[in-house]
Amino acid sequence: MKTSYDVIVIGGGPAGLSAALKAHEAGANVALIERNDELGGILNQCIHPGFGLKYFKQELTGPEYAQRLIDRLAATDVDVLLSSMVLSIEPASEENGHLHQISLINETGRYVLGAKAVVLAMGCRERTRGEIKIPGSRVSGVFTAGLAQRYINMENLKPGSRFVILGSGDIGLIMARRLSLEGMKVLGVYELMPYANGLFRNIKNCLEDFGIPLHLSTTVTKVIGKERVEAVEVSKVDENLRPIEGTQEVIPCDTLLLSIGLIPENEVSRTAGVELNPATNGALVNDTYETSVPGIFSCGNVLHVHDLADNVTVEAERAGSFAAAYALQGGDPAPADGEADGACIRVSAAQPVGYTVPTFIRKDRNASIYFRVRRPVENGVLVVKSGETEIFRGKARAYKPSIMECQIVPAKLLAGAGDEITVSMEEEK
Amino acid sequence: MVTKAAAQPERMDMQTYDLIIIGAGISGCAVARELSRYRLRTAVLEKNADVAAGTTKANGGMIHAGDDPAPGTLKAKLNVEGNALYENYAKELGFRFKRTGSMVIGFDEEDLRYLEKLLDNGHKNGVPGIELIKDTARILEIEPQCTPNAKYAIYTPTTGLVDPFEVAIAACENAVANGVDFYLDSPVTGVCKEADGTFTVTTPKETFSCRYIVDAAGLHADDVARLAGIDEYNIIARHGDLLMMDKECGVKDLMPLYPIPSPESKGVVSLTTLSGNVLVSATAVYRDKDDTDSYAWGIEELLKGSTKLVNGLNTRKVIRTFAGERAVAENNNNDFWIKPSAVCENWFHVAGIQSPGIAAAPALALYVVNMLRENGVPLEEKENWDPIHREPADFSELSPEGQADLIRQDPAYGRIVCRCETVTEGEIVAAIHRNPRATTVEAVKRRTRAGMGRCQSGFCQSKVVHILSRELGIRPEDVRLESDGSWILSGAVKEGPEAGKGEA
Repeated sequence: MKTSYDVIVIGGGPAGLSAALKAHEAGANVALIERNDELGGILNQCIHPGFGLKYFKQELTGPEYAQRLIDRLAATDVDVLLSSMVLSIEPASEENGHLHQISLINETGRYVLGAKAVVLAMGCRERTRGEIKIPGSRVSGVFTAGLAQRYINMENLKPGSRFVILGSGDIGLIMARRLSLEGMKVLGVYELMPYANGLFRNIKNCLEDFGIPLHLSTTVTKVIGKERVEAVEVSKVDENLRPIEGTQEVIPCDTLLLSIGLIPENEVSRTAGVELNPATNGALVNDTYETSVPGIFSCGNVLHVHDLADNVTVEAERAGSFAAAYALQGGDPAPADGEADGACIRVSAAQPVGYTVPTFIRKDRNASIYFRVRRPVENGVLVVKSGETEIFRGKARAYKPSIMECQIVPAKLLAGAGDEITVSMEEEK
Repeated sequence: MVTKAAAQPERMDMQTYDLIIIGAGISGCAVARELSRYRLRTAVLEKNADVAAGTTKANGGMIHAGDDPAPGTLKAKLNVEGNALYENYAKELGFRFKRTGSMVIGFDEEDLRYLEKLLDNGHKNGVPGIELIKDTARILEIEPQCTPNAKYAIYTPTTGLVDPFEVAIAACENAVANGVDFYLDSPVTGVCKEADGTFTVTTPKETFSCRYIVDAAGLHADDVARLAGIDEYNIIARHGDLLMMDKECGVKDLMPLYPIPSPESKGVVSLTTLSGNVLVSATAVYRDKDDTDSYAWGIEELLKGSTKLVNGLNTRKVIRTFAGERAVAENNNNDFWIKPSAVCENWFHVAGIQSPGIAAAPALALYVVNMLRENGVPLEEKENWDPIHREPADFSELSPEGQADLIRQDPAYGRIVCRCETVTEGEIVAAIHRNPRATTVEAVKRRTRAGMGRCQSGFCQSKVVHILSRELGIRPEDVRLESDGSWILSGAVKEGPEAGKGEA
């Protein structure tokens, strides 16, 4: 077994696969570490179509999309370690020979691998009942939508018969359709916000086509049952998202699915001391997807939650190339967060723009700034300012929180900017 | 089975013991473990699928110093004595215990008057090292994460922390190793005192005969006693909401901080558990027995309470809310109700064990055994009693070499099941096959921490279900979350020869 690589990619989902492929293409010698016993990540349980339209120009299911990347990887000499869990990363230092030390275990033992560059691609996890503090009893029958999806699509097991879904995120919508197709009853989808969180196509294809009602500004205020869910109580919420007394309605059901958001899974990143962005729960990165720890890169849903796998692939390919360049050139030739040369800019977001990725860009390179709005904006104009000076103004259009946006800001507009710019939005009537 | 036409067919499968403990919470388990040193045939009957599945699993896990209970009460005595016994208890039983110390925080002159009373209480109860501090700087020196608004504090260096179910499970397993039988999923449905003075105890599965009964049935101790026609006291349920925070919540290694208590409760305490999560507990409201619902009101109280005492806590980082109920013996001066029945010989009440039941447990066990002895229960010491219980390996706590060794011995330790808490398949399989076995997802969680992390089993539940199914030889749809009726899965989505093929 080899113990040192140019680039080690952690995670074998769409991000990890894409990053490993690009790093390999750039001439790096690469290992990919995956904790499950197969590659593909969460795509394996996403058996619905809708993947690949942008990247492969063809509509694929999740497993098909993953398989294309897996097949490409199989044709390379990238080392793949399956069923292997990374426990920690110790960043490169003089003492450890300038290699990041990755500790991992699998059935054959405990190992430490060295890498000149690391790509974090561990994906995300689902928000839980505890995080939104749904009151009521602690019965069985409350599942995150992704767990229910795994039971049904991967394990042929039914997590219930009569479902209420809280949250109109895409996984919840997809699951509403899946449950209906498999003969289970979906009584309704309830959404705290006054707008749906999932993609428009999913509202249409997964709810409307199946006659499943979507109740906006409504949330689950109590889980009822002795040992298993017997009912949930839902309530309307006011403009501050507080339940309105007197609007309670009890809906008999045996299962509550939660589709209330995704959170990047940065446990391993933390062990390396990677600085996180509270707005995304992902790493703070520069325009090469390098984190606060030199030589450690981050991409895909572990960096920020994407709505399309295709976008994950594009981002991860870039991160993989930059990681390879870092490894092969022996360091970062032009770090975007180096304070020394005055060539870098810190990007921040102002409401209703929720966050931006990356956080650090360079004045001498075009910047692709990814962002999401926190609430729907009917007629929004994207404005980038350096201090009080406007350096970029977009065209008026609609923005939705469900869609990750990308704005390219040309280098020539950045040249005169200060060391901080703000991405904000003006609303036109 | 071909049976003889016996005169008393129902007695044929009767299990006979000298003494039966009803209820396997912390008190029942601690008493069972203490009794296991004697030549007494002892059994414990528990209605839940696991020990420690009632009040014991849902409380703050504090080994209170003993300044709060009213002087002169049994509660005060057992609390202070129990606290002092915990080091040795932990050493013998192998559970985690840490003496953290704690502070009760005051903000104004009225609070100060209360703290002075508490100091006096503490002195009367014999709390070692108790101290009244009137200096913010000193308070912050003891716990830098305490709010700088704190002006006064009672500091008790002897306060400690455990995971309460760890204590109960360790006591139970040590009792089993020394010959006590535990019957889980065995709710007592009837108790009859026979003419010969023995008790016949019925459960849905089995019938038992015994000479002595220790009723440690928690919230239902009075109901169980009434089954035997004993109506001497009443248990009411004092409900408490609790919440658990992510390990990353802005606060680390927080010493337990108490507010000025109310007459009913020690108030909303914030602390960092032995596993590194901030736990905020608990509200105190009388509710129906078995109401372990979380209440929105309670959760808000907890968040408010913790913010008042703790500096820098990110209250958005909640990972779980839950609730428990303390069994309170009504009209009993808020004290424990531990005594022989006045109306039924050989029936012993161990009831009303509200807070500080965990802290009191080791002393309570000694007290109960002494009570049994004084009331004629023959207690002859065994020669081969082994007080030592060895906790199985905790992979995440081992050194890299230790981890490598374990994987070499059994590759299942190289398979991570719970990624949030780094729990391996090896640990889960070991937990399932301990004695008594862990047969539910929650029982596995309490023994291994699988599912206790920030994803709250979103990733590992299906794996744990399949491991339980495989190890217990049952179908996945027969794996329960906790008690009877808490099914997780209802069968196959699709039937047929190809359905579900190839899955673990």
